[in-house]
Amino acid sequence: MLLPFYWVLKTAVTNENIYAYPPRLLPESPHLFNFVDVWYFIPFPRYLFNSLIVSVLVVASNVIFNAMAAYALTKSFPGKHAMLLVFLSCMLIPFQATIIPAYLITSKLGLLNSYLGLAFPLLSTIVCIFVFKAAFEAVPQSLVDAARIDGLNEWRIILRVLMPLSKAAIATNVVLAFIWSWNAFLWPLIITREPTMQTLPLGLARFLSYMEDTTGALYAFAAMVLAPSIFVFLMAQKEFIRGLTSGATKG
Amino acid sequence: MIPKIGRRGAWWRKKRTRELAIVACFLLPSLAIFFLYRVLPLGWNLLLSVQYWSPLKPPRWAGLDHYQEMLLYDDVFWQSLKNTLIFIGASPIAIALALGIALLLNSDLKSAAVYRSIVFLSYPLMTVAVGIIWRWMYDERGGIINFALRESGVVAKPIPFLQSFEWALPSVIVAEVWQVLGFYMIIILTGLQSIPQHLYEAASIDGAPHWAQFGRITLPMLRPSLFLCAVVGILNSFTSFDLVYIMTNGGPGHATELLITYIYKSGFGQTKFDYAAALTVVQFILLLALTYLANRAAGGNAGSLERQ
Repeated sequence: MLLPFYWVLKTAVTNENIYAYPPRLLPESPHLFNFVDVWYFIPFPRYLFNSLIVSVLVVASNVIFNAMAAYALTKSFPGKHAMLLVFLSCMLIPFQATIIPAYLITSKLGLLNSYLGLAFPLLSTIVCIFVFKAAFEAVPQSLVDAARIDGLNEWRIILRVLMPLSKAAIATNVVLAFIWSWNAFLWPLIITREPTMQTLPLGLARFLSYMEDTTGALYAFAAMVLAPSIFVFLMAQKEFIRGLTSGATKG
Repeated sequence: MIPKIGRRGAWWRKKRTRELAIVACFLLPSLAIFFLYRVLPLGWNLLLSVQYWSPLKPPRWAGLDHYQEMLLYDDVFWQSLKNTLIFIGASPIAIALALGIALLLNSDLKSAAVYRSIVFLSYPLMTVAVGIIWRWMYDERGGIINFALRESGVVAKPIPFLQSFEWALPSVIVAEVWQVLGFYMIIILTGLQSIPQHLYEAASIDGAPHWAQFGRITLPMLRPSLFLCAVVGILNSFTSFDLVYIMTNGGPGHATELLITYIYKSGFGQTKFDYAAALTVVQFILLLALTYLANRAAGGNAGSLERQ
């Protein structure tokens, strides 16, 4: 399972002819020049900046909107059952199945080539709403009632009572939203036309078409792009897996 | 006479009304996003598929023309449909593999946890980068797979995996399985851990051998998890766009063309949005039909069972 990681890292730190046969299993005189090249010779910082902006937008709005929606879903209201059904069936619509109208809608909204347009479809995700809902339902009702008697309004109840008790759910939201926006490829590919708005996956694909895997720099690029998601995954593995499985089993 | 007791005052001042207003406000942002990017596109997509669409002119009614063209005259459509079915058809093998791994790793040992992380590690990675890694692994001259095959004497000449008509699709499928295997495994592990232990104890007391315990307890209890894996496998035919786009871009010829890459090409490559919409409808129907079949195979209401 780990072999591909090794092979790409090995190629990223070598400068020898990578087509030499037989390929060396260990890198000879490893160095980091390829990484420096990537940073300076392609607009890597620009891609990184774009990716970070979109990720921050997505993560922040996911935490806020999902918590709000989940709080509403813990209350009883007419049509709640139907609402839950709508959410669950929306989950079965793969985003890729809607790209063409989604593109038209985004262009009607005038959001092509913009950060908001890049982030829009991911601003709230159903899986994460259910993660929050489960966490809020685990908070004892008496605590919420006590807070209400103390005169806290709905916003305060979410912020002061429910959120501090749902740290794991927040972590799950942050991790999943980050991974989804960081890795998104098809959507940015469709709606960005200018290189200055492109995110890292697009930059990587562009670089591939220029270089046609003749250089270690390509693999250095790949390694640099993979590093954050590997880091986030290793840091928050438990939250990540719980989010995926709870979301998955709910649908 | 008993005086009527009840909350008085205008309806907008009632506590209940205020509560409902809050619920509505809190749901609004998420609902707006789902409506704009899930529900509305689905309907619009259907509408587009029966229209002649062009960027500047107003759309005209087309009836089933696009479907007719697709089904009768479009060889690429049939090729990509076949490839998509092969792609989906490979997922039971991957699920069986994941089941094996999950059974091996279903213990509280520290080392099992480490292996679990390693198997799962590939799932959250950026698919574009994964595609580049696998391209390099399959490379004719510098790739480690050809190197291993040649060194062990299996083949005399290197195989150009991604450039050959026979090998390209299986090669892409292997890369796809590598990435999604960990997710299957996690779903199955969660299912395994929810099986009550006393079932096995009772079976052991009754003298049931291990294989019978597996067939009579483990597999039936895992049905919802396996159904879920199957759904993920079916959905992957949509989500594997990134991998195919990077590794082969549908080539050589159309040997690895999936419906989703073909949709992208006709929609955004040739600006035939209407035709691409018709293709999307076909793929969506395929997805629903296969999900329904998987649900039947898993014993009817697998989804609702899981929700308990």
